Amino acid sequence: MKFYVCIKQVPDVNAPLQIKDGQLVQDADRNILNAYDASSIEEALVITEAHGGEVEAVLIGPEKAKETLRKALAMGADSGTHIVTSGDENYDSFAYAKILATFFKDKEYGYILCGKQSQDTDSGLTGSMLAEMLNLPYSTNAVGLELQGDHIVVKRQGDTGQEMIELASPGLVTCSNDMNDPRIPSLKGIMQSKRKPVDTIALSDLNAGISEADTKTNILSFEEKPEREPGKKYEGEPEEIARQVAQLLDTEENVI
Amino acid sequence: MDEKFDCIIVGAGVAGLGAAMTLARNNMKFLLIEKGEFPGAKNVSGGVLWGNDLAKLVPNYWEEDGGWDRFINHRRLTFMDEQSTFSVDFKSSHFNEPPYTGVVVLRSKFDRWLADKVQEAIDASDYAMDSFIAPNILVEEILLEDDKAVGIKAGGDEFYSDSVILAEGVNNLLTRQVGLQDKYVPADHMLTGVKEIIRYDQKVLEDRFQLNGKSGMSNEFVGYATNGVEGGGFLYTNKDTISIGLVLGLKDLREKEQKPHDILNEFKKHPVIADTIRGGEVVEYSAHIVSSGDKRVMPKQLYKAGLVVCGEAANLLLNAGKAIQGMDYAMRSGILAAETITEAKKAGDFGESAMKKYQDTLENSYIMKDINNFQDAVHLLHDPVMTQKMPNLICDFGRNFFSIKNEPTPKSREMLKGAIKRHASYWELIKLGAKGAKAL
Amino acid sequence: MSTLLTYISINDGKIKRSSLEVLSRCNELAEKHGLKSAALIIDQDPAPAAETLKTYGPSVIYTIKNPIFKNHLNTPLLKALSTAVKQIDPRVVAFASTEGSKDILGALAANLSAAALADMSEFDLTDDGVKGKRPIMASKIISAVEAKGTPVVLTVRSGSYDVVEKQTDSSVESIDFAFSEDELKVTLKEIISASSDRIDLSEAEVVIAAGRGVKDEEGRKLISELASVLNAGIGASRALTEGGAYDPSLQIGQTGKVVSPQLYIGVGISGAIQHVAGMANSKVIVAINKDPDAPIFDIADYGLVGDLYKVLPPFIEELKKIKQN
Ligand SMILES: Cc1cc2nc3c(=O)[nH]c(=O)nc-3n(C[C@H](O)[C@H](O)[C@H](O)COP(=O)(O)OP(=O)(O)OC[C@H]3O[C@@H](n4cnc5c(N)ncnc54)[C@H](O)[C@@H]3O)c2cc1C
Ligand SMILES: Cc1cc2nc3c(=O)[nH]c(=O)nc-3n(C[C@H](O)[C@H](O)[C@H](O)COP(=O)(O)OP(=O)(O)OC[C@H]3O[C@@H](n4cnc5c(N)ncnc54)[C@H](O)[C@@H]3O)c2cc1C
Ligand SMILES: Nc1ncnc2c1ncn2[C@@H]1O[C@H](COP(=O)(O)O)[C@@H](O)[C@H]1O
Repeated sequence: MKFYVCIKQVPDVNAPLQIKDGQLVQDADRNILNAYDASSIEEALVITEAHGGEVEAVLIGPEKAKETLRKALAMGADSGTHIVTSGDENYDSFAYAKILATFFKDKEYGYILCGKQSQDTDSGLTGSMLAEMLNLPYSTNAVGLELQGDHIVVKRQGDTGQEMIELASPGLVTCSNDMNDPRIPSLKGIMQSKRKPVDTIALSDLNAGISEADTKTNILSFEEKPEREPGKKYEGEPEEIARQVAQLLDTEENVI
Repeated sequence: MDEKFDCIIVGAGVAGLGAAMTLARNNMKFLLIEKGEFPGAKNVSGGVLWGNDLAKLVPNYWEEDGGWDRFINHRRLTFMDEQSTFSVDFKSSHFNEPPYTGVVVLRSKFDRWLADKVQEAIDASDYAMDSFIAPNILVEEILLEDDKAVGIKAGGDEFYSDSVILAEGVNNLLTRQVGLQDKYVPADHMLTGVKEIIRYDQKVLEDRFQLNGKSGMSNEFVGYATNGVEGGGFLYTNKDTISIGLVLGLKDLREKEQKPHDILNEFKKHPVIADTIRGGEVVEYSAHIVSSGDKRVMPKQLYKAGLVVCGEAANLLLNAGKAIQGMDYAMRSGILAAETITEAKKAGDFGESAMKKYQDTLENSYIMKDINNFQDAVHLLHDPVMTQKMPNLICDFGRNFFSIKNEPTPKSREMLKGAIKRHASYWELIKLGAKGAKAL
Repeated sequence: MSTLLTYISINDGKIKRSSLEVLSRCNELAEKHGLKSAALIIDQDPAPAAETLKTYGPSVIYTIKNPIFKNHLNTPLLKALSTAVKQIDPRVVAFASTEGSKDILGALAANLSAAALADMSEFDLTDDGVKGKRPIMASKIISAVEAKGTPVVLTVRSGSYDVVEKQTDSSVESIDFAFSEDELKVTLKEIISASSDRIDLSEAEVVIAAGRGVKDEEGRKLISELASVLNAGIGASRALTEGGAYDPSLQIGQTGKVVSPQLYIGVGISGAIQHVAGMANSKVIVAINKDPDAPIFDIADYGLVGDLYKVLPPFIEELKKIKQN
């Protein structure tokens, strides 16, 4: 079975960042594979390793994002497609979903896997948008996948319990990073990745017909989260500090 | 793909990257392995990369915005006691034109940038598909056959090469594994570096430190900065942050039961320093071991058949008071190591005597000349007379010299005498003077 | 075009507080902009919830009734929402941010060709759409965003607005909706529910969160004891949900749930940004950690530096005493 995994390069949220004149200034080089997408790749690899099949990673992003595609290949994906953008467009999930939908229009596959959200924006929209555009059955926030014959069973984390959902093929699943621990590419994987096939398509050649109207949301500015007033640290005898804080929660905060 | 590499480099710090760039340019097939998530990820340090070897690796690097933060045209050496500072300050427009005498770099940024440059050089070489930079991989072991290095082991897999360059930094476990350094090096001769990065509005920073465009300053500190522990302090201006920190003797710290972070906090509270750094926001704190540049702990031999050791893994570092020089030594030694390997490849001989050429060129380079010449200065820096009494004395003298009191002013000679009496004996000073004369 | 529509999530027949928060906000905006606030209930039996809703101020309560909604399944929900939106033609469709609403938000937006804004912490209307704020970069940064067009679909983080009761003469209108099981390409095989008697985290007034420091059965017992004294919901960091010590639905943070209780007590949690993303809006934060440099102390109002196994017993003891008085 063929799995497509949609992967995105995102800024590392652990890298230094600051706001200058309402704009976000990030350590520009610190871009990584979206953690949720790493889990999607891992899951696709586990399934195809056990049952046979093939994994292709698809990434929309600037030239520089190719390193992230390489990482997916180094993890073990068989091939990749890089849809190259100039990097200065400010696409939102809808626009990305539309580009992906154009790409997948004439493709054949068992399932498309997406991350449940982008690590930097936490939007969590692209996957289900893409499913709707392609008219595919889908399931989001998967914490487990199992291939049973010609279809997969998704274990999805709902609000209270876990839902076991049988999803027909072709279908789409968005994956949580609670699904697995993505492998770190081995040296062999890194070496092999250079020779794996990567199809590079300029966005303009894809004819996705993206217009301004497809970016439906805009970020106007950024602000620092209001800092919490620094609190107090209590050190010393456990008995002592425990009693003290318990008292304060009652008398000062009135939350007991 | 399964064939051997000409060389495997362990560690993508300054030394490893210098070596890799040289190998790529020399059209060699190599593997550069880094345990951090990316080159620079494990490198909390930063500071001044002295000299201009960088221009050899990346010609006209100054025309690019990336990688480095500022060039140094302003240097200051400060003696301090509890309340005062007395500085020797040098600033010159001589230093304004590239190639610069030194550039300030933040390693997590610089190493990444330099790695990108290495990748470009690889792409332009015959081995675009066969040479690799591999991050996030820990080299577990050097493979030896008949005491000759033949490759490495990582993730349980073995990879073979004609040669290995060890550029693993101060925590040189593999250098020890191959027997070039004792398994247990006494911590006595090690230092620990602690550093904070404090962020300002760039304009505020530039005004405060009188920076113009990409110019920057470096400031070293002796005396109260270390609160009685041997070592010294530093402050560098980065793009919109400063790095402020200390290097402290591990043994002395232990004996005096002091914590580096506490000393740094005290240093920052010093009235003069507090004024200098006021208003910023601490964005990073880090600590790291540094070698001391003391030849007594340096591996005697930096090579064996199929292998050379460079950078701080070889303990190449000098802290003789006026600057910490580790990165420039690392870079140059990496370049020299790669040149030796390239020669060996041409000659088809990676044996011990071929590798020895590396150490020979190193001995003849400024690195070993400096290290040999300034050994006494290194020891001097650990002399309490130098690190404590001297700064106190100088500041005491300064306080008297610069105060005007509407009463008869003694001659400076008398002031100096008074200061000496209060802080040190003549005998100590004579000894120190003699040592100093010899050391510098 | 003049309606602000709030989707009401129901769990075990009970309206989720977070939905009422969103409804309250829409009421407020409707008043401010001279619009109508309406609610939408999609359930196998919407009547009881519709009745309850009358105390929360919507002028119209739309209902869609179908047995298919017994369990969450996205296909029928999507179809029902799309039908309702086409009929009501609202300016905004607002949801409380839950796993259920996150599941369909993107698909609904694509279906309606509408703009979608997820996980808003604040929102208001503009002349031609919606503007507001949402946290990004693992909640380190707040972004100001806008969306244009009609409708705009959005979800709101729990705890962003207060619930305001408002008795109204709401009319209840049911919307026709038919769904045949044949349309389903997904089958719900089973629901593995964690014990149902526990307190819903996103609504709890007090939350106790356990982290990797809670190593064993004894630690978990202390956590349960503390929770029962304070009548608190129990949550956990990823370190513990991943390891299986706590149910995955209890994870607090970027991947898990957002909580905003009056009191949050983090026990043996380091305070990684991804965890903090889910609890930073708690009113009072207490942290118990043996590492004085743990990042959680940077945001804690009360930081107890110590071994949780030594701190919790007297802490629980003292709280019990306070409760008894
Ligand atoms: C606080 C502080 C301030 C300093 N300031 C200055 C200054 O201003 N100027 C200056 O010139 N020097 C300064 N130094 C010293 C300087 O940082 C070092 O001398 C220099 O980094 C040495 O370079 P290197 O490449 O040899 O080692 P490193 O930079 O340490 O690089 C070694 C690399 O090897 C990797 N590695 C190690 N083991 C393995 C393994 N088994 N497998 C894979 N990868 C491995 C490491 O992750 C690391 O990236 C300072 C040091 C400190 C701590
Ligand atoms: C994309 C992404 C999403 C993520 N989403 C989430 C999320 O939703 N929620 C989440 O929680 N994490 C999330 N994480 C993981 C997160 O980064 C941290 O790894 C995780 O929160 C750590 O959990 P912890 O604090 O329990 O464990 P640790 O970081 O290991 O901390 C354990 C703490 O317990 C203390 N301790 C140990 N023993 C004791 C004792 N006896 N007494 C007192 N203190 C003790 C230690 O000092 C330490 O500070 C995510 C990560 C990624 C990359
Ligand atoms: N530029 C992109 N290229 C490939 N996949 C993407 C891209 N943007 C989003 N996705 C997919 O959509 C998910 C994130 O959705 P969202 O949170 O809406 O940004 C990611 O985990 C990917 O699977």
